[in-house]
Amino acid sequence: MSEAREVKFGVVSCSGEECLGGTISRLATRKIMDEIQPDKTVTICLPLFLAGGQEERTFAKEFPTIAVDGCNKACARRAIEKYSGAVSAAILVSDLIGDEMAEGPALSTRDLTAEHQKMIDKTTLAISEEYDVLIKAEQVK
Amino acid sequence: MSSKYAVLPCNGLDKCAGQITKEIALAICEKTESDLICPVLYQVAESKYDTSVKENPLLVIDGCGMRCASKLAAAKNLKIQKKMTVSAEAKERGCVLPTDTLRLSEAERKLAVELAAELSKETETAKEDSGAETVYQTPNDFAVYTRDKFIFRVPTEGFYFTENDCWLQVSGNRARIGVTDYVQQSLSDIMFFTPPNLDSELEQFDEAGVIESGKAVFEVICPVSGKVVAVNAELASAPEFINQSPYEKGWIAELELTNFAEEVDFLLTTEGYMKILKKKVDDFHVK
Repeated sequence: MSEAREVKFGVVSCSGEECLGGTISRLATRKIMDEIQPDKTVTICLPLFLAGGQEERTFAKEFPTIAVDGCNKACARRAIEKYSGAVSAAILVSDLIGDEMAEGPALSTRDLTAEHQKMIDKTTLAISEEYDVLIKAEQVK
Repeated sequence: MSSKYAVLPCNGLDKCAGQITKEIALAICEKTESDLICPVLYQVAESKYDTSVKENPLLVIDGCGMRCASKLAAAKNLKIQKKMTVSAEAKERGCVLPTDTLRLSEAERKLAVELAAELSKETETAKEDSGAETVYQTPNDFAVYTRDKFIFRVPTEGFYFTENDCWLQVSGNRARIGVTDYVQQSLSDIMFFTPPNLDSELEQFDEAGVIESGKAVFEVICPVSGKVVAVNAELASAPEFINQSPYEKGWIAELELTNFAEEVDFLLTTEGYMKILKKKVDDFHVK
């Protein structure tokens, strides 16, 4: 009898310096990791991944990975695809909150408003839905 | 701080220190007209930031010891004006960063504000302390050791040395310190220099700053005990002075001597250092 593999999911957020969409993607990723699926998800430091972090790249090759990008530049998804292969799912925050809003200026977490919080919740929900689909697929294997 | 900078944070997401870098970068950009450089986008779309990083002094903020932002700057051949590693700064302040959550508490936010202020303050302080008044003789005669295309110069008069390839030039009760020609040639192009803190009291053989090139990091070992009364602020914007002129324009710091009479016994003359230099060059020489 083979042992069931413990499945961890990588949730990789874009770096989020450029725009509000990036900030939202970072915070939603943190919410998934801290509150929604704290034992089942890990994140990958994208700057380290790009700088050549082998542990990060190996993880993304071996485990299902959800890319969360702030805008359609899709830096996170493209980076994973370049160094570790296809992502299992990709979320685009600009699709959820609109291009204009997503491309607004980045903000500090101390300046978060209720409206921003709703955007984070919406993105968190989208990641969570992708997670549910992926976990079911893993259970079928 | 009133200057405009290009600010490059590591912006790592998986450690608290990385979260703090973002807050520091935003705080600096809010106070100035500085440009925020996204490290990830810079990797994939270099041209977007080309103008900013070339026209403005660059501030680099690393989150942890991986120093991804510094490595990125080195890979792009950027000259760093000032940099900071948040985890090291937190440790120095006795501030323990949380490992169980990445959400920033008031303590971490306060730290971010302090570090943002410090990053700007130190830049200005370095400018103010750029000149030492004590006169130091310019070396005009050098002992030379040549190996293939490499030529290593060591001043013949007025300098002391350590086995760690640092030098000391005394003037009254003060002295300048620096690194030898051997260090600058071994490191190749020097990208960044972290000076010792002004007014700090250093013991003989304490660390007196760090020099970084694309190849390696070199800790400057202080040849004598003393109080740091000046640092060479020009190295902040032109660390290549250490390559170009290690015994003159590339001086690192000036000390007020506290125990020179006893410590001089542990220093090397030109002749003594030349023996060590030759052995190092011969042992490590790669044809």
